Amino acid sequence: MDATNSITVRTKRFFEEIGDMTYFAFRFFREVFTTPFEWKELIRQCYQMGNRSFLLVGVTGFILGLVFTLQSRPTLMEFGAESWMPSMVSISIVREIGPVIIALICAGRIGSGIGAELGSMKVTEQIDAMEVSGTNPFKYLVVTRILATTLMLPLLIIMGDAVALFGSAIVENLKGEVSYMLYFNKVFDALKFSDVVPATVKSFFFGFAIGLVGCYKGYNCSKGTVGVGEASNAAVVYSSMLLFVIDFIAVFLTDIFF
Amino acid sequence: MMQPKDSNIVLEIKNLKKSFGDNHVLNGFNLKLYEGENLVIMGKSGSGKSVMIKCLVGLMKADDGAIKIKDFDIISLGRKELDVLRTEIGFLFQGSALYDSMTVRENLEFPLRRNREKVGTNQTTEELVIEALENVGLKHAIDLMPAELSGGMQRRVALARALILKPKIMLYDEPTTGLDPITSKEIIQLMRTIQQTYKTSSLIITHDVDCARVISNRMILLVDGINYAEGTFKELSISEDPKVKAFFKS
Amino acid sequence: MQKSTSNKARVGFFVIIGTLVFVAALYFIGNRQHIFSKNIQVYAVFRNVNGLQMGNNVRYSGINVGTVGKIEMVDEATIVVQMMVEEKTGSFIKKDAIATIGSDGLVGSMVVNILPGKENLSAITSGDTIPTYSKIGADDMLSTLNVTNENAALLTADLLKITNKILQGEGALGALITDSSLTKDIRATLVNLKQTTEGTNRLVGSLNRKFSKIDMENSAAGVLLKDSIVGDKIKQMVANLEQSSVVISETTQQLGSIISEIDTTENTFNYLMKNENLPKTIDSTMLEIKEASKKLNENMEALKHNFLFRGYFRKQERLERKNKERD
Repeated sequence: MDATNSITVRTKRFFEEIGDMTYFAFRFFREVFTTPFEWKELIRQCYQMGNRSFLLVGVTGFILGLVFTLQSRPTLMEFGAESWMPSMVSISIVREIGPVIIALICAGRIGSGIGAELGSMKVTEQIDAMEVSGTNPFKYLVVTRILATTLMLPLLIIMGDAVALFGSAIVENLKGEVSYMLYFNKVFDALKFSDVVPATVKSFFFGFAIGLVGCYKGYNCSKGTVGVGEASNAAVVYSSMLLFVIDFIAVFLTDIFF
Repeated sequence: MMQPKDSNIVLEIKNLKKSFGDNHVLNGFNLKLYEGENLVIMGKSGSGKSVMIKCLVGLMKADDGAIKIKDFDIISLGRKELDVLRTEIGFLFQGSALYDSMTVRENLEFPLRRNREKVGTNQTTEELVIEALENVGLKHAIDLMPAELSGGMQRRVALARALILKPKIMLYDEPTTGLDPITSKEIIQLMRTIQQTYKTSSLIITHDVDCARVISNRMILLVDGINYAEGTFKELSISEDPKVKAFFKS
Repeated sequence: MQKSTSNKARVGFFVIIGTLVFVAALYFIGNRQHIFSKNIQVYAVFRNVNGLQMGNNVRYSGINVGTVGKIEMVDEATIVVQMMVEEKTGSFIKKDAIATIGSDGLVGSMVVNILPGKENLSAITSGDTIPTYSKIGADDMLSTLNVTNENAALLTADLLKITNKILQGEGALGALITDSSLTKDIRATLVNLKQTTEGTNRLVGSLNRKFSKIDMENSAAGVLLKDSIVGDKIKQMVANLEQSSVVISETTQQLGSIISEIDTTENTFNYLMKNENLPKTIDSTMLEIKEASKKLNENMEALKHNFLFRGYFRKQERLERKNKERD
């Protein structure tokens, strides 16, 4: 009896949370189009999330390309299809692996950062302080952060993809003696708009999801310092999950329309 | 100290009710704040003091009752009007609530961002910030981060921030919590000075008897969600009511 | 204040770099699809486009010159393929250039290959329709080859039986002497064998031609054959097939001459008496045929296992099994 009760309670809480987050997203859209707009804070957040994440994304992307190529080489060689390496690597990185891995890394770095920052601002009443000093904290804190992640993540993903392909090209150049020119020639031969465009559109949604979940969890944080930890943890977990859901939907739609 | 006349009321709470689920925190609380006075509200922790003060500035929505500031009913106000009204209110938070991603200067500039015109144009922002910091004696800390300040300094910066828009009403939420007795005294002294220079009316929430004794013109004891007893510190401290006595027995 | 200004610059820099990478990527991809170059439209009519899709490459003499724009079915046997060909290279394509559909590598997508025309006609202009050529699928050819091979195997088995009987000694020989129908049998069988061998020869020849054509056309099989290992294997197999059929053909001729010799001698028995070596000759000839046929079979088997044709043979087997079940 107790178990079923707790299951129903949990289910209810789950739906409540989804509903709450949807409302939160609606509020974002309502407030993003009303004045005043916090440009300075947006730029600060873009700097924090974009420039400051680039090193991490770059290193990850580079290693990703390197490892991916090294791992697939033996299999492709078995089929005598090494010349397919650039096309295979570029398509899989641009379409799927690049966006998802980089988004996951950003969910870890940016999402948890937002969750912890807003969470601690909430519990130390800084958000309330903003509210009473005549600044809309939702606009100042949430709108800018969600916009920053939404705008910066696609850029990070594009650059990460480029770095990953470069890493792959290095392996091919050293091991397969393929010139960089030929490698990128083949890459651009293999890639189509239908690979790049859906992946980019998808990455905007990834960014939005990371920002939204991070802000939601932080902004609704309670229970003091414990709550801050929970908020930042939940921000990462939920946004990573949401990333895969979005990815699934995106792939599904891409499949239908392209 | 002016005579309490109804025309001098700057803030009035009538029959305020607020509950969280089954927990009825406020059960019809009433309060009148007269111009220029320091009204102390005392209550045990969890008695709803903070809830009351948050309802006052619209951070929480009251279930029932009326809150009037300058003839405006806080509860029915829209966001924009509320923001305008809030510039008339200075709020010192329990934990100072300084924005820890910003320097002291940026903290003080923050309320000015949207309400610069409220304090007039004969002073630059820089001058306003420095003046506010001089008032609390922390001019040298202008480019430090909040984390680099001690608890007492943080509280003083928070006070400067609350005052930068030159509000008519000051709300203090536990101004001395977490501070050592000497720092507490300094803060209380500062509050009195400010009250005299800026002619503010203050509502002070505390459970600190020493603080109440020094600063209060009038006191309200908040017990069980209602204003249980009212009077000056002297009147209340000699009361025979056991619930009132419990406050002064330290 | 200072800090946020430099932040602004850094964010700006970051955004510009990201956007540049993105735009460059889009440009390079678009360039490959000939979106930014001036194009002319050329049409070609096919019966079957073998899975050609919009956006597939169009090649002229092996160079990518454009993409497939539209594929439209006009009626049940006419599919019009619109190709967007770069204006620059379009001027080298003559009006009698031939469009064929091939595949780009083993697992690649389909491409339209435009083969240069032979005559010195004028160059194509926008809106022209160029002639097309549909290749006979390798499948069709192999199915014929397979039937031929099966026939050859059956015939060889028959011949073996006959020689065995001859070798069994007096009685059988006696029968051979008395029974002229046996000779007829052998003759008929030999005629069949000859036909089969000729068929095989023809097919092998056509396979050879096919492969040389494939080379030229640079299609899937072409790429495969160019790939030195695979190509060599297939070539060797075909050579083997050829050799086997030559052997069969030779032995058939030998048998034929023996039989005509028997015919010319009035009495078969006399001839046989005179010629002690005959059974032995027949025997060795038969062995040769047997061996050749075996080789033919082996080669066919190898061909079966070659991944290029594997699918086809599997299909064939399945069909056979189904037929058997139905029977």
